[in-house]
Amino acid sequence: MRTYVRMVICVYLPRFELTAAAGGRSVLAQQALAGRALAVAPAVGSEQRVGEVSGAAEACGVATGMALGEALARCPELVLVPPDPVRVAELWETSLAALESIGAAVEPARPGLAYFETDGLTGIHGTRDQTIAAARRALGRPARIGGAPTRFCALAGALAVRSRRPLLLEGAQARRWLAGRPVGLLGFREETAALLAPLGRLGVRTLGELAKLGRPVLSDRFGAAGALAHRLACGEDSPLAARRLTERLAESMEVGDASSGIALQRVLGVLVDRLLARPERRGRTLRAVTLSARLLAGGGWRERVVFRQALNDPERIGLACSVRLLLLPAPASALALSVERFGPPANEQGALLDQSRAARAARLREAVAQLRAVAGQEAAMRAVCVDPDSRVPERRVVLAPIPE
Amino acid sequence: MPAPVLTRTLNPPRPARVRWGEGLPVEVDGEGVESLRESWLVEDRWWTAEPLRRRYWELVGERGRNLVVFHDLISGRWFLQGP
Repeated sequence: MRTYVRMVICVYLPRFELTAAAGGRSVLAQQALAGRALAVAPAVGSEQRVGEVSGAAEACGVATGMALGEALARCPELVLVPPDPVRVAELWETSLAALESIGAAVEPARPGLAYFETDGLTGIHGTRDQTIAAARRALGRPARIGGAPTRFCALAGALAVRSRRPLLLEGAQARRWLAGRPVGLLGFREETAALLAPLGRLGVRTLGELAKLGRPVLSDRFGAAGALAHRLACGEDSPLAARRLTERLAESMEVGDASSGIALQRVLGVLVDRLLARPERRGRTLRAVTLSARLLAGGGWRERVVFRQALNDPERIGLACSVRLLLLPAPASALALSVERFGPPANEQGALLDQSRAARAARLREAVAQLRAVAGQEAAMRAVCVDPDSRVPERRVVLAPIPE
Repeated sequence: MPAPVLTRTLNPPRPARVRWGEGLPVEVDGEGVESLRESWLVEDRWWTAEPLRRRYWELVGERGRNLVVFHDLISGRWFLQGP
């Protein structure tokens, strides 16, 4: 008789965003060797909190998510690295594609953290250890890897392991091991992160202590988050939801002198035209796109644009994206547009010649003529803004006749 | 041949009967004033022979509608003007 045991593998790439923003592992290693404390600077327009921090910064008491003022007060020599969401997304996509290249169905949690199940992969690679070795080879960079029956337990394993050897836990052994882990692990789950502070005040330090409190008590005190925290502490978790494989379609362009303003909007227009002209689109509409830019001053900017309805009209796509382009925090050196989700193939047949404007004007003329015939010459007038900012209301707008 | 249509201003001031109460209008054209929303002073064209000085009052009438009235500080007359 064979016993089926599920094994979830957690792949954790520490300080992924900081590494990407700093320009790669070699640059970060040089900085670390020089003993410099690094932190990802807050993004423009967002809350002034530092992102991921280096080991030297942690040694100075700086933590991820700390207010910028407090971080600089604790570590005056802290070097702030401009955030680069574009490069982070690119590198993370490359890492995910590498994991998928060994046949894994990957669930990405956030940049630097992903899960996959070994079911089926052992048939390709042999044993679990060989599957993990294949994942390491595909990633081509050091990763902390943990394996356990559930996602949360696997994460705890990956965070605990410090060597290149993975930590694999099974069944009751996993639950026993999890009971001794710190309750701070709940901070890695968005739903339970808010519980850390109250649990700390209550003196709950380990997941085992949390599990002993009982699900009804935690549910009564913290609601759904408390029930979930208890489930996680007991070694239970929801099944993995692997991402759907999608083809990547992207266009980018160095913008040269057209780093902002109307010139950049023209570049955007060219990118939209190029993207729609790609044969891989196969007539499909676009449901969501990602607009990204590399900034002249360093770092990057990234914005997701979801259309109200799936589009393939370049004018409407350009209009929706150009509104987001106004949010660009600094002049750009390169602009990119990539498709995030496709819609159904376009099935609307447009007219050969665009006659809508002429038809509208003719209808308007007819309506004005009918109105004047019924109610007199002054029945239809046009409001013209002459001085919209005037402090005297009657000077702002005048009524002018509509030409015949 | 129909007479030519001329350009005209939109929202011109209309004379209004305003009853003054304790520091603010309490009745506009027979409608009681429920509350005061805002008041502001407009001084314009003071460099010309026809200066303009108005004290505007934005009020809420007892029927729930917004009323914008102003007191012409040169002629002393009251006018009603839409929002």
